[in-house]
Amino acid sequence: MFTAAAEGLLKQAREIPEEELGRFVSHVAALLQGRDAGAEAVDCLQRLHLVVAATKYPRTLDGKFVELLQTVLCSPKYPEQVQVLCAAILREMSPCNELILSCDDVQDTKLLSLISSILLAQGDKKAEVSAVAQRVVKVLEGRLPEGQSFRHILPVLSNVISISPVSLAEEQINVVSKKMVDWLRYASTQQGVPQPSGGFFSNPRARQPGPVTEVDGAIATDFFTVLSLAQHYTEDQWLNMQAFSMLRKWLLCYGGEGLSTPNSDDRSEMDGSVISMVSTTSTSSHLLPPKERLREKAFEYCQRLIEQSNRRALKKADGELQKACLIEAVTILDIICKQDSSYVYRTLSSLKILHSRISGDVAFARALLPLAQFFLNHSETAAVDSDAVYKHLFTEIPAQLFHNPSLAFEFIQFCKDNSQLFTDTSSIFRQSFPNLFKFLAWNSPSLISEFVDLLPFLLDAGTAIEIFHLLLDLPCLTAALDIQLRSTSLSASEKAACDPAVKPATCLEAFRHPLYKSMFQYLLRVEAAPEDSPERLIPLRQLLGSLASSPRVVQCAETVPVLLELFFSVVAEFADKPLINQLVLLVLQRSDQLYETSAFKDDVYRVLSSQLLTLCKLHPALLVELSKELLEFLASVNNIRNKEALFTHMVWAIGEYMSVSYDKRCTVEQINRFFEALEATLFEITQLRPLASIPNYAPRVITVLMTTLTKLASRSQDLIPRVSLFLSKMRMFVQSPAVTSVYCEEDREEILNRATELMNLLKMPSVAQFVFTPPVDVATTAFQRDANESLPFALRIVSRLLEGGAGFMPG
Amino acid sequence: MAAGRGCLRPLRRAPRDGRRAGVAVAMVRAFVLHTLGGPAPPAAAPGPAAAPPPRCRVLYARAYEAPGEGAPARQRLRRKEQLLAVARQVTSQCRLLQAAAGRAASLAPPQLPDEPVSLQAAPGGLFRLRPGDPFSGPATVVWLAVLALGFALVCEPHENLLLAESTLRRLARRLLGALRLLGPGAEALLRAGHAEALLDRLLPHGQLLFLGEAAAQALEREAPAKALR
Repeated sequence: MFTAAAEGLLKQAREIPEEELGRFVSHVAALLQGRDAGAEAVDCLQRLHLVVAATKYPRTLDGKFVELLQTVLCSPKYPEQVQVLCAAILREMSPCNELILSCDDVQDTKLLSLISSILLAQGDKKAEVSAVAQRVVKVLEGRLPEGQSFRHILPVLSNVISISPVSLAEEQINVVSKKMVDWLRYASTQQGVPQPSGGFFSNPRARQPGPVTEVDGAIATDFFTVLSLAQHYTEDQWLNMQAFSMLRKWLLCYGGEGLSTPNSDDRSEMDGSVISMVSTTSTSSHLLPPKERLREKAFEYCQRLIEQSNRRALKKADGELQKACLIEAVTILDIICKQDSSYVYRTLSSLKILHSRISGDVAFARALLPLAQFFLNHSETAAVDSDAVYKHLFTEIPAQLFHNPSLAFEFIQFCKDNSQLFTDTSSIFRQSFPNLFKFLAWNSPSLISEFVDLLPFLLDAGTAIEIFHLLLDLPCLTAALDIQLRSTSLSASEKAACDPAVKPATCLEAFRHPLYKSMFQYLLRVEAAPEDSPERLIPLRQLLGSLASSPRVVQCAETVPVLLELFFSVVAEFADKPLINQLVLLVLQRSDQLYETSAFKDDVYRVLSSQLLTLCKLHPALLVELSKELLEFLASVNNIRNKEALFTHMVWAIGEYMSVSYDKRCTVEQINRFFEALEATLFEITQLRPLASIPNYAPRVITVLMTTLTKLASRSQDLIPRVSLFLSKMRMFVQSPAVTSVYCEEDREEILNRATELMNLLKMPSVAQFVFTPPVDVATTAFQRDANESLPFALRIVSRLLEGGAGFMPG
Repeated sequence: MAAGRGCLRPLRRAPRDGRRAGVAVAMVRAFVLHTLGGPAPPAAAPGPAAAPPPRCRVLYARAYEAPGEGAPARQRLRRKEQLLAVARQVTSQCRLLQAAAGRAASLAPPQLPDEPVSLQAAPGGLFRLRPGDPFSGPATVVWLAVLALGFALVCEPHENLLLAESTLRRLARRLLGALRLLGPGAEALLRAGHAEALLDRLLPHGQLLFLGEAAAQALEREAPAKALR
């Protein structure tokens, strides 16, 4: 197997002994110094490359040999492949102290490219970046020796700009800008001549090459661009391709307002024979400073690409290139308009036409993003209404193309780049958040991290509730999208086969069935529907349960806890009291209405229960305001069985926050009502029935119920005898054979200890009240912050006090 | 999730516009060719705590950005680890994508090495690397998986990703042939010269090129690799 073989070879290369390597290096040196460094030298250099590359630790080669590699690299007598390998090995060793290479006097452009790649990998300790930049520009300025081409060094310049744009002086920027104009606009429109092979059968009077063609095979109607095709390309055509490839970067770095000084002599010699449709519409530009002239030529080039992207490509790869060009052209036009607003009007009108041309074709969907970006950036300047563009993008595209992972990724990036749009509540962007969740539901592994960034921008008081529902229904949405996708591939007869009178047997049938149709429509809605009631989804959740084990649904379900936690932490920043109340009620309500997969439910309960505490802490009065609903929830023993975490946290919150110190409305009657409800629950789960076995509840539920009852009793002291009596019965409970068979020794001990400690505490009611009800203003001090921590400590103090323990030291 | 929960930090609620915030210079930072490791661990649900997949190895890599700060050995170590981290994340993303599509990750080599491999159907995608993990700035990874091999381009966030995707497909197709990646044995590791020659032409100095099919073929014909073979 390939992996195993690679593994073995890599291990060998990594672990090669120094001595053996030394011998091998001498052998390679001998080969390189020999008369003919041919195939064997190449093989050995490749082996050496592997030895250097395979380890992440420095691999030191003999200094003399490193020198030899550099000599070979610079010597024209070696075959190109040997030079390429020498460069690759030197690059692999980088950063490398023994380097003596310099690009200062290199004339050969291929060699300059190789040396630059090594120098730029050194980390600029000796100002290598600047040295390379200076040399490359110098060569570009000069006359090119026979057989050389600028196209080997143009990418070097592009790399230099990326690493350090400040490497070029203003004058050099102008020189290159002028060259760029020539390369972009005045490349030959005739095809290149093939290199003569010089063989016996080669025809010295080969056919004259024809004009370049468009992607659809038609003869090119205007100047050469990257979308012009030829059998063979001329040097200036290669430069045209490279210049356009680095144009965006160049404009971003040097196209804006700089130190540009107008220079009336900036006139390139140009080939006037090219008849340009586009250029005739532009103003005479010879007198413009180089930057502005380049901007104008770039504008023309992009306009031409937009025209050319309308042709039907004969080859698939060229069709793909058209789309990539369209994206690039629109992005460059955006940059040009930012740098000079006088271009906005001209560009806007052509891009409007482009939009209406491509918006109906899903193959061009990705180009809609830079288009929308353009309209976002410039519509205001031109006082043009572009809402239709945004509306189409946000309502149609996610709904149709949620399953295209690349588009999904770029769409969400677009949203993140423009997150300020989501702050305007009435905007189409904000309205369409249910649509954005489709991307996440379908592509959760690659998008979860993006959504973590985006979600805070989607949330506010108006959207929180609907987004809460959406998050909990996210795995359902994945399942529904799956059905939708499968349904679109059904044939017309299969689609028509649905009989409304018969209950659907499969999800696919249900998708078109009147019973479920509107539910699917609601779940798959493209815009927010805050008025709609999510309860109607209950039957659909059950129906889609059959897809719960589908890997995509499982993956999506795994992202929900992360997003839920984020949801609550963001909502806590702005939520008012009514919203908090509403959320608490929803937590209780939705805990019964979750998509049926056990891992998902457990995860969601875990998050919801800890967030419930946070909400109670933010707004303790909710316990009084929602007492009716909370009492209902607490009265059901089923809730302990199914959602232990949620139940326990709720009980704990009541013990903590059901106090007059948090809310004046918290009367003794209120406390008594909660006490009675919890007492009945504790009674029910600890009741020893002679015949029935004890249901196995988590010991945590019992201890938290006991603690909360004690806390409540300390605030309504008539209840103290009742709770003390109850606690005293716990000894009997834990010792009964039915209980010992269910709970382990440790758990029983824990229950009993807690009961004893609480009883002791209640013997001193005023201490109990103090311990259990810290004044609100000290509730945030370090000692009290985590009541879970401090309570056992307080209990231990009291127990020891009561037991009269000698030598007690606090802390 | 592949991203891991630890690195999922929400942004502040301040309006941001990546495109307007300074100059976003597009470039490819690195190319990585790696194995996708052994078969996926039996645990069906890959959670955030899942151990890194077994033995995902970098076969060939080329970095185009300048190394960061520190002593030379440290810079080199960091670069190597960054590229391995990319390979690992691609492996993990590939598994998740395969699982979601309901395809068991078929990482075994094909029965017939000569069988043409369709790259259109090959799993691939995009994901983002957060600043500091593993590169100092944010980056977008474009990846493609062919059988047991992963191909990845690490791009600046605002790179033309459609172009990056088609460039990667073109590179993958050519490398599969030039490095004999589908053949038995590990010959690919000893054909760095071929990889260098291809990258120098199709991705010179990390510059994505707008190339039609004819232009790409013309560039390939110039590769010196054939001269000595």
